[in-house]
Amino acid sequence: MHAYRFVALRCWKRMAGTLKPSILPYGGFLAVLVVASLAMFDADRTNAADWYPAGTSSPDVEFHGFASQGFLYSSQYNYLGKSSKGSFKFTEMGLNASFDPFPRTRIMVGGFADDVGEAGKYDAVLDYALAEYTISDYFGIRAGRIRRPDGIYNDIQDVDLGRTFVLLPQGIYDARYRDFNVSLDGGEFFGTLPLQQAGSLSYELYGGLMRPSLDGGVGLQLRNSLPSNAHLDTIDPMKIFGDQLWWNSPIDGLRLGASVGYISGFDYSAVIPTPVGPLHLSDPSDILLQTYSAEYLWKNWTLQSECIFTDTLTKTLGTPDVRQFSWYAAGAFRINKWLEVGSYYTEYYSNAHSPGIIPSDGFQKDAAISLRFDLTNRWIFKVEGHLIHGTGLLQDNVDNPVRHDNGWLMIAVKSTISF
Amino acid sequence: MNSMIRKMVFLFALLLAGDVLAGWPAGALVIANRGVKEDHISVKTLKDLYTGRTSYWEGGEHVVIAVLADKTDEALSQVSGMDASQFRTFWQRLVFSGRGQEPKEAPDIATLVRVVAATRGAISLAPPDAPLQGVKVLNVE
Repeated sequence: MHAYRFVALRCWKRMAGTLKPSILPYGGFLAVLVVASLAMFDADRTNAADWYPAGTSSPDVEFHGFASQGFLYSSQYNYLGKSSKGSFKFTEMGLNASFDPFPRTRIMVGGFADDVGEAGKYDAVLDYALAEYTISDYFGIRAGRIRRPDGIYNDIQDVDLGRTFVLLPQGIYDARYRDFNVSLDGGEFFGTLPLQQAGSLSYELYGGLMRPSLDGGVGLQLRNSLPSNAHLDTIDPMKIFGDQLWWNSPIDGLRLGASVGYISGFDYSAVIPTPVGPLHLSDPSDILLQTYSAEYLWKNWTLQSECIFTDTLTKTLGTPDVRQFSWYAAGAFRINKWLEVGSYYTEYYSNAHSPGIIPSDGFQKDAAISLRFDLTNRWIFKVEGHLIHGTGLLQDNVDNPVRHDNGWLMIAVKSTISF
Repeated sequence: MNSMIRKMVFLFALLLAGDVLAGWPAGALVIANRGVKEDHISVKTLKDLYTGRTSYWEGGEHVVIAVLADKTDEALSQVSGMDASQFRTFWQRLVFSGRGQEPKEAPDIATLVRVVAATRGAISLAPPDAPLQGVKVLNVE
């Protein structure tokens, strides 16, 4: 989901951007401490934290939360922050509550904050706030701020608990752009349709508005593509409609997915002061997203593969449309209850029709191997190594002025506590 | 040719039926909170509950799954199609994407039964020798 990069490609010669200092460089450690305290308090209870607002006869409110702190080191480039010197700017935390006030009705609220490189800056956001009514297994409705389904991981890409790897394949699940990818204000229909001996078909049809943050990954990259004296004023909310289908095959653990999303009205507003007056910039476009997925859970194995096509359909005369493509294949094996090993290979191409100005910016290939340690039920630790070719996903020309196609290494370490 | 196709379809159906029947762990009991109106449950419905495709009982009450913490349970594995780690990860994904509520975990069988007895809409798998005070046993069809 990197459709905004067409702006970066077109403005490639303008090397600009200033980086704002982080306000809470050690906020991640504080968050881990708080969640660890909650987890220890809850250690000998069944799980989560339950609250009965009006005694045990009322619906209970369930709370869950997590805090993750990571460390990134790159042997050559500043990727996902200033990682060439080692970076702790890799923090994520979330807190949610849910309860069932009436039959077949659920209300859920979640908050989130992160700091990944220069994106996020610990800005607390309302991650989701929704009401859900399930008429039957075949049909239900969610409305409010919901997480967008797209592939295996889009709606939980910032939840470290939900996977083996520290970094998901970044060509599909870029850690900096959750504000663009993950949530939308609107609603969806959902359900599962039985197909008799052919398994079942799960569906989610959604629509609404996306509201990227000026301090998120999209805002960061727009600023990086603009002249240093430019000011990014707004990123317009944009409409999105889409669906996620999953065929749950009759073979236990095997499912195949297809997702299509259409974003209408991606645009921003920036101002460049000039001697003759302010110059206003904007660049409207529509974006078509297609994701195809396969997942097979077999005994202790988890096997996954996905690919995504992102087509940016510009509305500016003389500007060509842009296609980006990425795919990966991943496998993970649970050795015992406290150790899991995983590996993936992924490729990303920034423009399938024409290369960028610097050849290595046209792609990025990554082979990763990861170890996940489940130290307790609520505390995990991961260590991971990457061998990377290409610089297509760096997206930070100011901190990486010299780029070429040689191999480089990245180490990622992360710990997460949850309750 | 037609008879060959019919035989293949019959064999495929037999294999699938066998797979469904094999999904039910012999001896394991399905226990539920006494407020649950159902007295019977099919293997398919059980699987739908444990994989989040069915979230509510017929009467509209939310299904609450209770499991033993940290245990690679053969019964859970056969019903859900996942080992304990995959099962936990699966439900964590639903919880933190605003699409589900995490199963309740208990450290031992006795606590598990107490959780089911005390939680509206709760269901769990228990060994045949589990103490069953306060819960009902659902017949598996």
